[in-house]
Amino acid sequence: MNARRVWILGRRIIQQIVRDRRMIALLVFIPILVLTLGALLFRAKPAAIPLGVVNEDQGQSLPSGIKISLGAYVTQELGRSGTFAVTPLSREEVDARLRDGTVQGVLIIPESFSADLHQKQQATLPLRLEGSNPTRSMQIAARVSEAAMKALAGLVTSLGMGTPGAPPVPLGAGKLPVAIEPSFLYGGAKFDTMDYIAPVYVAFLVMFFVFVLTCVSFLRERSLGTMERLLATPANRLEIVLGYMMGLGLFALIQATVIISFTVWILKIHYLGSLVLLFLVVVVLAVVAVSTGILASTFARNEFQVVQFIPLLIVPQGLLSGTFWAVEEMPAYLRPFAYAMPLTYANRALRDVMLKGWGLTQIWPNLLILLGFAVSIIALGALVMRREVA
Amino acid sequence: MGTIVEARGLHKHFGTIRAVDGLDLQVGAGEIYGLLGPNGSGKTTLIRLLIGLLRPTSGIASILGQEMPNKAILSQVGYMTQGSALYEDLTVRENVVFFARMCERIRPARVDEVIALIELQDRARSLVRTLSGGMRQRVSLACALVHHPRLLLLDEPTVGVDPQLRFTFWEYFRRLAGEGVTLIISSHVMDEAERCDRLGFIRQGKLLAEGNAAELRAQAGAASLEEAFLRFAGGAATGGKR
Repeated sequence: MNARRVWILGRRIIQQIVRDRRMIALLVFIPILVLTLGALLFRAKPAAIPLGVVNEDQGQSLPSGIKISLGAYVTQELGRSGTFAVTPLSREEVDARLRDGTVQGVLIIPESFSADLHQKQQATLPLRLEGSNPTRSMQIAARVSEAAMKALAGLVTSLGMGTPGAPPVPLGAGKLPVAIEPSFLYGGAKFDTMDYIAPVYVAFLVMFFVFVLTCVSFLRERSLGTMERLLATPANRLEIVLGYMMGLGLFALIQATVIISFTVWILKIHYLGSLVLLFLVVVVLAVVAVSTGILASTFARNEFQVVQFIPLLIVPQGLLSGTFWAVEEMPAYLRPFAYAMPLTYANRALRDVMLKGWGLTQIWPNLLILLGFAVSIIALGALVMRREVA
Repeated sequence: MGTIVEARGLHKHFGTIRAVDGLDLQVGAGEIYGLLGPNGSGKTTLIRLLIGLLRPTSGIASILGQEMPNKAILSQVGYMTQGSALYEDLTVRENVVFFARMCERIRPARVDEVIALIELQDRARSLVRTLSGGMRQRVSLACALVHHPRLLLLDEPTVGVDPQLRFTFWEYFRRLAGEGVTLIISSHVMDEAERCDRLGFIRQGKLLAEGNAAELRAQAGAASLEEAFLRFAGGAATGGKR
């Protein structure tokens, strides 16, 4: 072994990397970006949970002559807790509001709530949940239960509940005074976290592989000179881009078939909607991924630089598109970034189809936005290609 | 004899570099026109301007009377880039068929014909990846002329081709010219230049002199084309000759 040669070789590597300014910038910038995103997401104070409350409590007259309405009190306390953004609802609107996403859960306070608490020191509160995200559902149920309990604790003394003469018994001293009884609009108890994550696995994997495949094949086309040769035929840029989409789209479809079959039949993921629709979303996403890949590869001189785009374009999408953290739970300042990412809409559409069994009439806005992304990225790509050749 | 290729006051600047610097050119049907000049003299840029891969900074480049860039006219043009531009993981035949179909519907017999021309019948089903440099150069040529172009733009087509095959290439170029096909061939090999009908000496983006080999030699009072070129270059160079 010759130490001098090792030294000379090592120095050459350093020289080359130092000359690649963008590489240096990315070495420093990318970890900071990814860490910042992670920290923001993990540490963010969760946004207030939009909660509907149907208060049908008739109240209860106490022996002392005072009429109490614990339903109104609980509603007020839930709002004051800061955990929830409370909207009063009527029973008829419950499912519609859950479906359109303006509330994530609805607490139903029955007519006999105050009376039950007064007479039996025990009441049941039905909680209607959206249900597609099991983790989220459990979280909301726990928070509601916690907040209701906190509101009712110590009420006994202040309101003079309990039997006159006997020493006041604080609610919740013996057994839990309120039981939350969850029910689900979608999914429900049989859905687990994997059911929630699986649809976005499909999206992320397709996006990732199609992007990398496009970048590499487009770059190879340029570095081998065949792009130049191709542009010297009557084929125009649009035809080239569409040809790429057709070719790579086929593999995106094959991949999607494998992933979907595996998740549905081997991993036994619950799914409700139409398979055809699932493929439609995947195809549209593949179109976006191909156009992103073409755009990115025009900024890359070699395969090395293509790899650099992965942490820059793909990782943030994975973190911010609602894969693990629902966009609605994100702090407000991160949400605009999530809404700027195509994967967000693909995730949403896939979840709507798989978890909620929605049809084309309900998911079309997401598909339209995805197509909008594709068209604008293609236009941008063609513009950049134009600058480069001709 | 109609004009097939024309350039008028053609300029292409990249920042401060004047790759093509005020160039006029006319090439007629059935003519073999040689673009001669050292590396970096602007030959490739000129060819890319003519075929419409670059947009001129100023001036006009036209093919068959159509101002370039013009996509439609490209089905009548064959182009061979410097260095073979082929799909490595396709076979010889698949490459030829692909480029043929980009231009028009092609008879399978025509594909076999051009593969025979480049004498690669026995390698037709080999992946390009497995071919030598000279073989790839031949496949590139096949791809450039499979669709019966009226104009062939060949950027240093004989680089890496052995003398015997080079001879075959030129025989074929001559035959094509006889059929009325126009060829513009760039080269920095002077002995090849002798075979062209007309030559253009190009240096620093300018056309220094034009004419057939004998005329150029006489004009410069030189014994060889090489010497003639150096004479012309010496006269035009502002910053001393190479």
